[in-house]
Amino acid sequence: MEGVFSQTLVSGILIGFVYALIAVGLTMIFGMMDIVNFAHGEYLMVAMYFAYWFFVLFGMDPLYSLPWVTALLFLLGVITYYILIRPIINAPMLSQIFVTFGILILLRGLAQYFWTVDYRMIPQTLTSGNVSIFGIYIGVAQLVAAGGAIFCNGLIFWFLKATRVGMALEAVAEDKESARLMGINSDRMFALAWGIGIATVGVAGTLMSSFYYVFPEVGSNFCLIAFVVVALGGFGSVAGAFIAGIIVGVVEVLSGYLIAPSLKFMFVLLLYLAVVFIRPQGLMGRK
Amino acid sequence: MKKGLLAFLLLICVLAVFPLFLRDPFLLHLLIMIMMYATMSIGWNVIGGYTGQVSFGNAAFFGLGAYATAILLVNYNINPWLGMVAGCILSIGLAIIVGYPCFRLRGHYFAIATIAVGEIMGLIFTNWDYVGAAVGIYLPIMEESFANFEFHSSKIPYYYIILMMLLFAIAVSYAIEKSRLGYYFRAIKDDPDGARSLGIDIQKYKMIAFSISAVLTSICGTFYAQYVLYIHPSSTMDLMMSIHLCIIVMIGGIGRLFGPVLGAFVFIPLMELTRVYLGSEGQGIDMIIYSLLVITIAIWKPQGLWSLISKGDK
Amino acid sequence: MRRFMRVFFAVVMILSFTSLAYAQNEIRIGVIFPLTGPLASTGQGLLKGVELAAEVINNQNNLNMPLAKTAGLPNLKGAKIKIIPGDHQGKPEVGMAEAERLITQEKVVAIIGCYNSAVTATASQAAERYGIPFLNDSSTSPGLTDRGFRWFFRTTPHDDMFSENFFIFLDDLKKKKKIAVGSIALLYENTLFGSDSRKYQEMYAKKYGYQIVGAVPYPAKSTQLTSEIQKLRSYNPSIIMQTSYTADAILSMKTYKELNFAPTALIANDAGFNDPDLIKSLGKDADYIFSREVWAKDLSAKKPMIKTVADMFEKKAGKPMSGDYARSFTGMIVLADAINRAKSTEPAKIQQALLETNIKADQLIMPWDGVKFDPKTHQNILGKGIIVQVQKGERYTIWPFNLATKDVIWPFPKWDSKR
Repeated sequence: MEGVFSQTLVSGILIGFVYALIAVGLTMIFGMMDIVNFAHGEYLMVAMYFAYWFFVLFGMDPLYSLPWVTALLFLLGVITYYILIRPIINAPMLSQIFVTFGILILLRGLAQYFWTVDYRMIPQTLTSGNVSIFGIYIGVAQLVAAGGAIFCNGLIFWFLKATRVGMALEAVAEDKESARLMGINSDRMFALAWGIGIATVGVAGTLMSSFYYVFPEVGSNFCLIAFVVVALGGFGSVAGAFIAGIIVGVVEVLSGYLIAPSLKFMFVLLLYLAVVFIRPQGLMGRK
Repeated sequence: MKKGLLAFLLLICVLAVFPLFLRDPFLLHLLIMIMMYATMSIGWNVIGGYTGQVSFGNAAFFGLGAYATAILLVNYNINPWLGMVAGCILSIGLAIIVGYPCFRLRGHYFAIATIAVGEIMGLIFTNWDYVGAAVGIYLPIMEESFANFEFHSSKIPYYYIILMMLLFAIAVSYAIEKSRLGYYFRAIKDDPDGARSLGIDIQKYKMIAFSISAVLTSICGTFYAQYVLYIHPSSTMDLMMSIHLCIIVMIGGIGRLFGPVLGAFVFIPLMELTRVYLGSEGQGIDMIIYSLLVITIAIWKPQGLWSLISKGDK
Repeated sequence: MRRFMRVFFAVVMILSFTSLAYAQNEIRIGVIFPLTGPLASTGQGLLKGVELAAEVINNQNNLNMPLAKTAGLPNLKGAKIKIIPGDHQGKPEVGMAEAERLITQEKVVAIIGCYNSAVTATASQAAERYGIPFLNDSSTSPGLTDRGFRWFFRTTPHDDMFSENFFIFLDDLKKKKKIAVGSIALLYENTLFGSDSRKYQEMYAKKYGYQIVGAVPYPAKSTQLTSEIQKLRSYNPSIIMQTSYTADAILSMKTYKELNFAPTALIANDAGFNDPDLIKSLGKDADYIFSREVWAKDLSAKKPMIKTVADMFEKKAGKPMSGDYARSFTGMIVLADAINRAKSTEPAKIQQALLETNIKADQLIMPWDGVKFDPKTHQNILGKGIIVQVQKGERYTIWPFNLATKDVIWPFPKWDSKR
């Protein structure tokens, strides 16, 4: 069934771009301060809810609320850093794991309490419907999401490589001490990294709200996928996360199509285990 | 430690005589759940607290204990107590198979790997017809007896069984703390390179810790299956259960003997009572409360609540 | 100490008198449904159905059904039904805990529930252990009445009976409407409900000579169904038979449209596809779907009482009545009728009265031949299903052809054509 195969492949690539975007924030934070943000998926959930509420309360289509949600999430990331992460920057790994884990549960609990566990979906968006490209039907929402993800990833890559602030971020990630000697305030860089890292999830979440259900637990699957992408791409590598995202997206849909849809997630997890045993630094990671 | 020992003995006495005075089924159920989670959390403490390897996949052992019992009972009419032994063997097997490659990983990578393994187990069981797939297994209602491990007219026998299991877990934990095993575990946690230079086989001891953890968790799985008489993947192999174990130990006191017990006494009532009294409007409140507890403790009092009672030697 | 004992004693006396007091004036019925979670919309409606029935029983209404014309239960001195709801959130272990709570804390004399077959299984297990009658109004997994339970009763027909309906319908299409049907593929949610449906659909397809070319399960709380529907499409089926709850039913229809996949016919097995919210969410995109139903409003063409009750429900719940809500309503009526005939709230007497139930077809708002429980399995043997089709935003009975109010529209039009 050639038509269906290529259709499946295309949808895998498209969602892969979005996975890459989600993972980029995670990998930036890890690369900079060696902290795995276990709550990453929950920020995605928060972004999706914000997009939903912007629609329901203000009638704003996700494309219009995108800048607002992104800004809110950036703020959320910075606040998280100053209040919760800064105290444990040098704490033992156990404490760091538990703080971000605590944030995971906290966000989920807040969502359950304030917004209930009922499923929400934005009924009609500007990006509804589908287009046919070379005989393959693609949902417009998915196409826009992929486009947005590519653009955002590119923006971050350019920011890190070509701007002074971005290069300062990379310097701190590379070697905190030397960066300090050069006069870079690592504390502020960390806060910026958190802000950007969570903001990327804001973009991803808003774009995804057009075609996913929103409910308090929606973050957990994406969080795991993000871990796999980061591991595959290499902890700390933005370019790696981009490539890995596409690979993971394709692996997911192909295993679902060729083997069994209910097990597609398992193959993604097996991919993580394979990478971590065989090539722990991933495709493009450091150390 | 003396103060702690006293508190502990008091607790055991109260627990032992409690059912003689108060027979309310809901209270009994609550205490049974507290003791079950305390037992499992002690299990987690062995690998996570003493040995410092954070596992987010211990629910898989619980599930194996539950499923082993259920399948052997339903398909082969094998007594649940024997099923418990089978569950333990399977869990040790899983611990070794997973531990062997995974323990070479460091910190965060290991933690995520345990999540991956736990989730894979859940996915397999959800899609495997032999174990009932997503639907699960209904255990047959048999005549109530200790041999059958089923009781219907009262929860009290279940209560005493789980109390025994809890005491067993505490005894195991105590024995570890006082023995060379405990010393090796702590060495692995605090200074792995130093431990290696002393000639300690790190892999072997991590595996032992994990196996002990597996057994303590697995027996609870068997207990649960016989208590509820219905099991399915989301009630026995859920990631949230693994997370709850960590939270309980974190709140109570990681690496301390009674930390998990204290944690269970804080956590379970919070969870059950908010559901019962606040119902669906209150959903999430318990999560908010214990997550704030975890965060606060992780930042300011990493030794957990037990350190408020007894300073201990850490 | 003495004073304490006296006060304590007085408190105990007062409490026992008040509990005696409320036992005489009210009959406490526990009701367990998914009031929150992915099935919340259905669960809330089911609760409203039971509450409406309680209102009909507790007050005087001019309806030809048991206990409507009197206020309260006449054989119990006009005692009124009090509904105590429980929320199982879609989880079997919560359903079991709620059943226990309702029985031991709330002292209910019987339980109605739970919609999800998986939850009904565990909740009724608790009731069986405590010896409390459990009336299953809306769960259709056949296995529920195969357990040899003595306290479990089911009014709704089950999926074995319903699955056969599909193929009798297809046969009728061939014979009476000259519509030939090609290969069939199945899409189903992977809990008890969906898995059972698949089992029986495959069994009856073979018996009636139809070809099933593929079956795709999906996890009940999926966030997207693209892979599953792609897989379904790869089997090249002519007809899709689908078993889904509301959220996935809506999601799957959106995905079909997105992927431009339109089978010759989509035949659904009740549940989500009969939820009024489906039509509300999808609008025109819900048209032409067939669904096996238990009830339809247009049955009031033959039984006007149906329209009266349906209107009452719509006023109370703010949404139209559906087969699920009609069944929860009916479940309450059947249970109350038994309690009345038992002349007591003792569980054993209620159980006996349920076994003696014999309600006639004209006293029900369902298209059944009556309510009578098989002495061994406690299944209502007089139930049966219908097939409806959504046309211009409304559901119409189209089969059995003698009960139909509209004709069949075949095939399912393409997505980009004028619908």
